[in-house]
Amino acid sequence: MPGAPRSDGRLPLIVLGGFLGAGKSTWLRHQLHEGRLARHHILVNEAAETPVDNLLLGGAARITVLAGGCACCDGLPALIAALRDICDAASGAEAGQIDGLLLETSGLADPGAMAAGLAADPVLARRLVVAETLVLVDALHGAAQLAAEPLARAQVEAADEIIIAKPVAAGPVTVGRLASTLRQMNPAASISVAEQGLPLPLPTDEGPPFDLPPLTEAPPIRAYRLEVGQRGAGEATDGWVALSTWLSALLHARGDDVVRVKGVVRTPAGRLLLQSVRRVVQPPEILPDDDSALAGPAPEEGTIVLIGRNIDAATLARSWQVFGA
Amino acid sequence: MCSACGFPAAPGHWTDAGAQTPADRLRLRFIRLAAVNRLLLRFGLKAHDDGVTPGLQLFSPTGARELVPDLESLWAAAARMAGQPIDPLSPRALADG
Repeated sequence: MPGAPRSDGRLPLIVLGGFLGAGKSTWLRHQLHEGRLARHHILVNEAAETPVDNLLLGGAARITVLAGGCACCDGLPALIAALRDICDAASGAEAGQIDGLLLETSGLADPGAMAAGLAADPVLARRLVVAETLVLVDALHGAAQLAAEPLARAQVEAADEIIIAKPVAAGPVTVGRLASTLRQMNPAASISVAEQGLPLPLPTDEGPPFDLPPLTEAPPIRAYRLEVGQRGAGEATDGWVALSTWLSALLHARGDDVVRVKGVVRTPAGRLLLQSVRRVVQPPEILPDDDSALAGPAPEEGTIVLIGRNIDAATLARSWQVFGA
Repeated sequence: MCSACGFPAAPGHWTDAGAQTPADRLRLRFIRLAAVNRLLLRFGLKAHDDGVTPGLQLFSPTGARELVPDLESLWAAAARMAGQPIDPLSPRALADG
């Protein structure tokens, strides 16, 4: 969970998503009970007019409830207004009192669409950064939801981290198969298991993924690795320019197909962490050159992961050869 | 952002990251122009950047021209001029020659 304040002064926003009844509030309640996120401002969005989720979240120090409209479409103006208010407060007399924000979305929200809406707002683009997208998947109903609901798939595809909830009731076999299904849908996301917010180990034997029937004949999402090359300091500009030009054209033409892009690229300004959800590219972050300053394993420089559909691997490689390399 | 007029509407386009010194930024603009034109050429279009005017200037063979602030708007304007998306994976972009 991101803890340290960011050097650019923007507040990190954690998006907590998942299908209706997946266990978002339960998970969040446990995190609050454990004292995590105590200095985060919690926003709860509910599609229904009558809010109830906030009743579960007594442990939150600051909480805002946005009821009556899902924040990825109808409720987006209300969400933006609320976020602007919080950002204003966080830079005024109450500066430094919150470490970040957590938005619990309604079960009907597509986190990708919401991230796009927030990035398009001229004020919030400077004040907030979507730090992490957590998506909860119900172990009991997850497979059925993924099989039938395009929205459930969109949520999983947009996740950075997937948490499988209610594993005890579903049993290890179902959880294992669900985990391998999720891994196939979103190979870049990390997957964990939690019962009532309490982490449990993933089953060691995952079993075969569930068969997901095509919805509206959409081809499956696949991950593609693209070697954009390790370049020396003198060639860093060429490599970055070729990649950013080519990728911006690709995302503009095929933003609906390319669901996610991630990678670390060498530029004259240092190593850049590049990531996008659909058409929205996050402002690239400069990573320190010292790997030991980073949490977790050192990033693989010069490799871009593209996750999308309707893309032919050979054409992709050829296009990069022609316009990039 | 200027609080009176709201310009620019967003903090620099992501493709402008990666260059921090003025010299790097200028280098990036010129190298990028070549990369942009390599793709636009396949669609009969051409971009121009004199290094001074902000943004890029886009030209079509019929004489249409447009000033665009960043690559995002460039691809949108070019798609309008070409009558089809500037898709680097399309057969037209990958045609030989």
